[in-house]
Amino acid sequence: MSRDGVLRVTDLVKRFGGFFALGGLSFHVSPGEILGLVGPNGSGKTTAINVISGLYAPDGGSVTFDDAAIGGTVSHKLVHLGINRTFQVPKPFLSLTVRQNVEVARAYGGRRAGATVTDDLLAEYRLAEYADRPAADLNSVQQKLLDLVRALATRPRLLLLDELAAGLNPTELDWISSKIKALAQRGTAIIVVEHLMGFIAQVTDRVIVMNAGKEIFEGTLAVAVQVPQVIEVFLGGEHAA
Amino acid sequence: MLYPLIAGILFGLYFSLVGIGLNLVFGVMRIVNLAHGDFLMLGAFVAFGVVSLAALDPLFAVPLAFVVFLVVGLVLYRLLVPRLQRAKDPEMLSIILFFGLSQVIEAVMTIGFGTSERSLPSRELGRSLAALRVRLFGGTVDSGPVEILGQSFPAPWLAAAITSLIAIALVYLYLYRSRLGTLTRAVMSRRDEALATGIDVHRVSAAAFGIGLGLAAISGVFAPFMFGSFTPAFGVDATVTSFVVVVLGSLGNPLGTALGGVIYGVSYMFVQTYLSSWADLLPYVLLIAILLLRPSGLLGRRVRVA
Amino acid sequence: MLRDFIRHFSLIVVPLVAVFAVLPAVYDNHLLLFNFVIFLALAQGVNIIYGFTGYLPFGYVGFFGAGAYGFAIVVMHLNAPALVAVAIAGLVAVLLGLLLTPLLRLTGAYFSIANLAAALAVLHFVANPALEAVTRGPYGVSLTGTFNPTMAYATALGILALTLAIVVFLKNSSFGLALQAVREDPVSAAMAGVPVVRMRVIAWLASALVAGLAGGAFAWYVSVFYPDNVFSSEFSIFAIVFALFGGVATIVGPIIGVLILYGVYNLIGFTTPQYFQLIYGLLIMGLVLFLPAGLVSLATRRGWHVP
Repeated sequence: MSRDGVLRVTDLVKRFGGFFALGGLSFHVSPGEILGLVGPNGSGKTTAINVISGLYAPDGGSVTFDDAAIGGTVSHKLVHLGINRTFQVPKPFLSLTVRQNVEVARAYGGRRAGATVTDDLLAEYRLAEYADRPAADLNSVQQKLLDLVRALATRPRLLLLDELAAGLNPTELDWISSKIKALAQRGTAIIVVEHLMGFIAQVTDRVIVMNAGKEIFEGTLAVAVQVPQVIEVFLGGEHAA
Repeated sequence: MLYPLIAGILFGLYFSLVGIGLNLVFGVMRIVNLAHGDFLMLGAFVAFGVVSLAALDPLFAVPLAFVVFLVVGLVLYRLLVPRLQRAKDPEMLSIILFFGLSQVIEAVMTIGFGTSERSLPSRELGRSLAALRVRLFGGTVDSGPVEILGQSFPAPWLAAAITSLIAIALVYLYLYRSRLGTLTRAVMSRRDEALATGIDVHRVSAAAFGIGLGLAAISGVFAPFMFGSFTPAFGVDATVTSFVVVVLGSLGNPLGTALGGVIYGVSYMFVQTYLSSWADLLPYVLLIAILLLRPSGLLGRRVRVA
Repeated sequence: MLRDFIRHFSLIVVPLVAVFAVLPAVYDNHLLLFNFVIFLALAQGVNIIYGFTGYLPFGYVGFFGAGAYGFAIVVMHLNAPALVAVAIAGLVAVLLGLLLTPLLRLTGAYFSIANLAAALAVLHFVANPALEAVTRGPYGVSLTGTFNPTMAYATALGILALTLAIVVFLKNSSFGLALQAVREDPVSAAMAGVPVVRMRVIAWLASALVAGLAGGAFAWYVSVFYPDNVFSSEFSIFAIVFALFGGVATIVGPIIGVLILYGVYNLIGFTTPQYFQLIYGLLIMGLVLFLPAGLVSLATRRGWHVP
């Protein structure tokens, strides 16, 4: 494993027709680190997550995981390598029970996945009492947590969290940030995409600020909010363009 | 070369009319009307009724069929669609629902009219316009063929093609020049947003459904002349053909259907002329090929691949 | 899971097959019993591909007809023994399934329509007079040499048992669970580590195999048939409606569907086909509007578990 990162993204390009959703994005994340990916709507955060998790093949640049090129690898193989994610709009298997949702991931998530215990995970994320109900019965916050539990059941070494915090109340926010930090302490590399700056400040070690498909700042959030370019990107909507 | 080309264009314009209603319904409602061909078959029976009961020119069946099935469509919409759209997967269930409707229509018509093949003498069509036709295209008042570029074609082919052109033009005017049509296009492009902006989606959809069935019925009026004969069981083939035409032009884009129809018509006529024993295979192979190679249709951009 | 597999197999599959093994001794209409067995297998075949993966196969009969003709061709041209020919029938259907795997890229209605078109294409291909030397074209085949209804019936029962075993396996294995996950959300399924494309193809081919074997047994049993008989869209439609009526993604749903609906069909059936078609059409519409998840949903709605 290289010293400076389990995941390394270099000059990543993703086009949709003539539109460059990612125009040369570069960053890395290390084991045990929580990296925040922030930026205005349409800056390419979710696209970056989608490329890294294998939903889209990149049109240029490279993605490496443990120094192996993974750009364009199909999702389930990435899962077996140790990459997993949650979705902005949670996507559980609605007609399966909550427990079955997790069992699928345990059975197919790769060699390491078998070691997890479904009921422990469900209890840890406050889903134990719904274990035998269909996932459709859960509310949207619980569905997000189920997404997360399903991801954790595959024992990821890199976890991509796409707006996990949106819709959570302040108590739940505190609770989930402590969970995320605990995961990182056990060595998982985590990328958090989020609009809630308070949450970003609470959990991340470092942030990448994105605009128009590229990174424009890298460092801590405390520094980021003082950089004129970053301020302009976040407030610029009303003045510029 | 010239004959199959012109015949193909004439047939193709007609095929556009056959498919356009199906596409309008799918575009607006995301509902697959598997009974589309059966409404076409019912249109053929309207023509049959106009000729055999009233002894009129089947052209009179065109407005009659449209109005009748517009109303039928509005009623059916209220009965079926809102309930369907509350289900988990309306698109999939609509296939089954309208398949059921197709069975009901076919059964009722078979009970009423039997399974025998019916046809209408082609001289009946356009009788009321005979004088005009003779002036424009030659021929005599009584006999059929018209001449185009030195090739002669049955007069009903031309009548069907012209009616189709007029109908497609009217659909265009409806979509682009009327208020309800503008709303219809809005629903077609972004259903969820249209709902959010307070457009009465039910009114728009009901209108589209009625117009779709009306157009199917109009195309049915010409079916006895274009296909030689018709039976109550004729609907399934008509539905498949409509799908080919619609998918060729791109599903969800009613005007693309015009192009799809012409392409289908021309290739159909060429295969008929040069490879006739395999002509039956054409619609199916064409449909699969287009779905796989260019899933959004020749004009479409919408992605539909898993 | 293995325990449940054995339980479901011995409590549902064994009794059902046993009853149909005994019935010919006490009931004279053997053709009807044979058709029941064929439809039980076909409805479960639809269950495999629609219930567990969400692809509605409107052209399912394509595999059945291909199987029937696979059987006929090896019997006519190679004098193959009937049992071998049934196996070939299954193989032909699987090969057709492989040829059609690109259709799995399509979703929803597009898949169903393309599948219907594929079945019609196979029909027109087989029935083409230009292929008379191979398939007898539209003139139909006559296989008097292998005629043996008793053995054909027993073979059909074996095919039914195999099909039910597949469904019981899907219902009680993480493989079946993963298929359902793919049906619910392919993207999430991939994120659970499920190889989505491979799973779909396996289910598709299993479903094709069932229909092909059933088609082979059918050809053996009836021994004289025309392309329109074995490619009749009624096979697809009936199999789909039976499965839906009972409730898919269960073991018992399609069985209940066949026993009730095909039973009713034969009570009012053959003498007045149009009236039957009418009732059938209305039934289908009512089903979609009022009971879209099938009869078993009456029980599952109350929280009862249905195998």
